[in-house]
Amino acid sequence: MDKELIAKLAQAAGLTKALAEFPADVTMAAEQALGNQGGIAYPTDPAAEPWPPMRAGSGV
Amino acid sequence: MSDLHWLTAAEATRAFAARKLSPVELMTAALARIERLDPKLHAFIQLDADAAMDAARAAEAEITKGRVRGPLHGVPVGIKDIIDVAGLPTTCHSKILVDNVAKADSVVVAKLRQAGAIVVGKLSTHEFAIGGPSFDLPFPPARNPWNPDHHPGGSSSGSGAGVSAGLFPLALGTDTGGSVRNPASCCGIVGLKPTYGLVSRRGVFPLSFTLDHIGPMTRTVADNALLLDAIAGHDPADPGSAPSATRYFGRMLDRGVRDLRIGFVRHFHEIDKPAHPEVTAALEDTARVLQAEGAEVRTVTLPSLNEFAAVNRVILCSEAWSIHAPWLRERPGDYGQLARQRLLPGAFMNAGDYVGAQRRRAQMIAAVEDAFRDCDVLICASSMDPASRIEDAAETSRTYPRQARTPFNVTGHPAVAMMSGLSSNGLPLSVQFVGRYFDDATVLRVAAAYERGTEWHKKRPPIG
Repeated sequence: MDKELIAKLAQAAGLTKALAEFPADVTMAAEQALGNQGGIAYPTDPAAEPWPPMRAGSGV
Repeated sequence: MSDLHWLTAAEATRAFAARKLSPVELMTAALARIERLDPKLHAFIQLDADAAMDAARAAEAEITKGRVRGPLHGVPVGIKDIIDVAGLPTTCHSKILVDNVAKADSVVVAKLRQAGAIVVGKLSTHEFAIGGPSFDLPFPPARNPWNPDHHPGGSSSGSGAGVSAGLFPLALGTDTGGSVRNPASCCGIVGLKPTYGLVSRRGVFPLSFTLDHIGPMTRTVADNALLLDAIAGHDPADPGSAPSATRYFGRMLDRGVRDLRIGFVRHFHEIDKPAHPEVTAALEDTARVLQAEGAEVRTVTLPSLNEFAAVNRVILCSEAWSIHAPWLRERPGDYGQLARQRLLPGAFMNAGDYVGAQRRRAQMIAAVEDAFRDCDVLICASSMDPASRIEDAAETSRTYPRQARTPFNVTGHPAVAMMSGLSSNGLPLSVQFVGRYFDDATVLRVAAAYERGTEWHKKRPPIG
């Protein structure tokens, strides 16, 4: 994966310090996160709702 | 009485009631064993010996006067160090919180005290219940009583090691991707992840709000039910808590499995993550034992383990990032390397990843619910391999994700892991039983029938 892109994403996430001190960990994390997306069969039905369901009044 | 350290909680309380044993005698034996074995096992982050002995004396006085506080009165319990105990540190096994002292008891600890249990101390974990086993933290990792060169599983490592070694009969762990059931599997004990929402999480340091569970860890199924009875119940201040009135989880332990329909999820260990041959053989033996006891066993199919793991990972990393982002930005060097590596991916996941995973999660829940239309309980693998050597980072990294526990964090169904045999190198093998929502009692009923049919729970680690 493009190291410059990883650096920009890391800085945007506020990880400037981690990027300076642990660049290999930051790169590994970015590659893991972006490599995970192919493993999920995301719903194709636009109306498929997420879990947990929204409930009126709960947590308010 | 001899071998007090192997008494179960149920046996100890019966002995207290019959005046054959006192809480002070039991606590004295427990503390002596902890003093002798914990330097090898590192189950404890902080032992609270003086307070535990004071509480044992108080329990003895009350029981002598016939004032029994609850079903666990006088029984020692260990608490994973992400769960608050008033006045004791909650370090999460991390430099980040090394000076953090809990001001109040978590709900589960308050409930344990109401039941009469005595907290003996705080137990080792993977850092923040995600980064371990690690050797770059303020405390050493716990080790496996069956062979201290091996990992006891995690993240509730000290809970598993301590119960298995007879340091205490009861412990609490937490489970976000399998962290009660992994140490139960590695250490040959009984670990239950209850139904999501059955046990309050208030006062427990979160890892992932929609995946976190607190669960009982014990040497027997009966003790597991007793401990769950003590900690379960609705908490209106925990947004994930369910208004369930379910109680008395041990009420069906003697009923056996005759006429129960059990679904065997074979593809988890045969196709998705092919298991070690000894694990596979033990799983087939488990199915045969339950069939011999009168259950009907049929094969069922669920979504793949790899997809469950991917959904779990996106949700866990996203939710954990929202908790840890400030520290990861300001103090990345105060995390151990494993926790840092496992928490940072959340910084690179976006809202679409998270919501997409939660939408797929709803479909996966529906798939498991569909399986329960034709089955009362599911059997499947827990760990695909015996515990790795703790200092073999490559082997731990290879075997740690080879498990079938995360599906039931994703879905929230109750799941218990327990011993199903011993490997050729003397390490516990494991099986998992899974039930319908809030039917934790049936999960424990099947586990009890299996326990009676095999007696693996009578095996002891060769640690003295």
